[in-house]
Amino acid sequence: MIEWSEQHLMIRDAMRRFVEAEIKPRLEELEHGDTPPYDVLRKMMRTFGLDEMARLRFAKRIAREKAVEAARARGEDVPVEPAHEADGATDGGAGMQLIPIIELCRYCPGMVTAMGVSVGLTANAILSKGTIAQKERWALDLFTLEKIGAWAITEPGSGSDAFGGMKATARRDGDGYVLNGQKTFITNGPYADTIVFICKLDEGNDPKERKVLTFVLERGTPGLTQSKPMRKMGLHSSPTGELFLDDVRVGRDHLLGETEDGPARSGAKATFTMERTGVAAMALGIVEQCRERSIDYARTRVQFGRPIGEFQLIQLKLAKMEVARMNLQNLVFRLIEMAAAGKSMELAEASACKLYAAQAAMEVALEAVQLFGGNGYMAEFQVEQLARDAKVLQIYAGTDEIQVSQIARSLLAG
Amino acid sequence: MKILATVKRVPDPETSIKVKPDGSGIVTDNVKWVINPFDEIAIEEALRIKEKVAGSEVVLVSIGGNAAPNDVKEQLRTGLAMGADGAILVVTDAALEPLVVARALAKLVETEKPDLVVMGKQAIDDDSNAAGQMLAELLGWPQATFASKVELSGDQKSATVIREVDGGLETLRFPLPGIVTADLRLNEPRYASLPGIMKARKKELKEIPIGDLEKAGLDVSGRTQLVKMEPPPKRQAGKLVESVDQLVELLHTEAKVI
Repeated sequence: MIEWSEQHLMIRDAMRRFVEAEIKPRLEELEHGDTPPYDVLRKMMRTFGLDEMARLRFAKRIAREKAVEAARARGEDVPVEPAHEADGATDGGAGMQLIPIIELCRYCPGMVTAMGVSVGLTANAILSKGTIAQKERWALDLFTLEKIGAWAITEPGSGSDAFGGMKATARRDGDGYVLNGQKTFITNGPYADTIVFICKLDEGNDPKERKVLTFVLERGTPGLTQSKPMRKMGLHSSPTGELFLDDVRVGRDHLLGETEDGPARSGAKATFTMERTGVAAMALGIVEQCRERSIDYARTRVQFGRPIGEFQLIQLKLAKMEVARMNLQNLVFRLIEMAAAGKSMELAEASACKLYAAQAAMEVALEAVQLFGGNGYMAEFQVEQLARDAKVLQIYAGTDEIQVSQIARSLLAG
Repeated sequence: MKILATVKRVPDPETSIKVKPDGSGIVTDNVKWVINPFDEIAIEEALRIKEKVAGSEVVLVSIGGNAAPNDVKEQLRTGLAMGADGAILVVTDAALEPLVVARALAKLVETEKPDLVVMGKQAIDDDSNAAGQMLAELLGWPQATFASKVELSGDQKSATVIREVDGGLETLRFPLPGIVTADLRLNEPRYASLPGIMKARKKELKEIPIGDLEKAGLDVSGRTQLVKMEPPPKRQAGKLVESVDQLVELLHTEAKVI
């Protein structure tokens, strides 16, 4: 793929019009008020038929799984279809998912985060590990955004070392479990209806040897407290919160997969890969917007009697922005091509992709602020918001430092 | 029932327009092209009727080029992605005046036999506001222009149209087939949905060389000629006045408006 197809461009144009009509005029309240992003996101899903597509895809997948289960029950040996091949290049391919991300990120990277955590992380966690009944109960409503999901792993004492330092526990209690613990920096935490909660099974053994279990919690469960949105540097259109679990009792039907013996971290690599590649599309949206705004400004802002675009130091900034945009777009093209071929990136490549994308977005956004000078520091010109938002790309979904170590580990292995 | 909806390609209203130095037209490099916004409203209305009346069909019609730089196919595909069933493009690179456009549409109406033609009240590029009225005259069909509401009778034999006229609303009822031209407040056009965009690829986009219509009797000779295009005069700097008297004096002697 060397350029966007005509269909991609149609999707982009439609999405861009929607974003400019529905989000741009409300940026102030979404970024600086306390208006949650979900109504706008739902409207987007409905407007573009994404909810209907999700329903169809889900129905197909469940039907297939039920057929496999029935065949197994009859004693037939059914090969497991790899998920990405089965779901992968459904009409439109990966471009369908990536273009909305790019377009939203021109104004609201926070919205992508809120949507991505609900659909990408939470719903997909249930889809990859849950029983068919659990998928039907929780996943579909998350895919259509009728319900909002949160994926809770980070704790006050465990970030990059998520499993090592994890304190949240599950204790067996009759046929169910009692859950305790505290989670923080949870995207959608304040408003989530469905929460995927990751903790360790406490059998009185050494915490290092405990099994990792994943539960699904519903809003309003006794003992579960969801905090108000936390104040943060940027990404204000994505509500972030804390979760407190105080003797939360759940039945076995809330344990994902309904077994303690599932491979604990299965799907984690696929999840990380998906998250990380999504960051490339986010970075592209941020970079495109900063670049376009900067070009306009360089053309029209006059100092010392000429447009500042005539000064070489400004030209250098614009050229660097263009290089970053080209690189990111090529990464996105590669992602679309790979998905169409039924492949997904190895974790190390996804890490490299994410590391570059996050740094490029941060650098370009800061350069845009600098190019705009005093205006860049003011909220009116939007680049300061994108600069604050871009910073999170270097921190969440694995910090730059974690990406570096994963790339290096793969280089040095073998 | 069968509905024809017209599509004209125009520069995006958000684009800043520059006139060519020789006055022969506008600079089209880097112009983003869109469906004429009033035509978009016409398409939406056609689709809404289709959704209400089972078995209906919406066909888009356009006149223009089929290759860069005059390619209209992209706008037609967008209309198909919104939900139209098919599209017809009369291929010509010539800029046609409204009467020729109306004659060409009349030829298409002969072969397509629609029950209703919905058009934008005008195109936002030349603002002629004429093709719809001329088409009605050529066909001898009833017309309702500047529609802000369209309703079909239960048997789909007639239409009731509310028009925004100076000082109020006018309600017209006429038998079908007929022509409706869409005003701004008729509806809010939908976005092309993603499944719609995917499906648009498989829909028929029929190209008819304008020569074929000429063989069938279309007269492409025009009566008007574009003499010159010029940008509006640059705005002059304002002037502060000391008093109301001086203002009145200057409006009289300098601006000569009173």
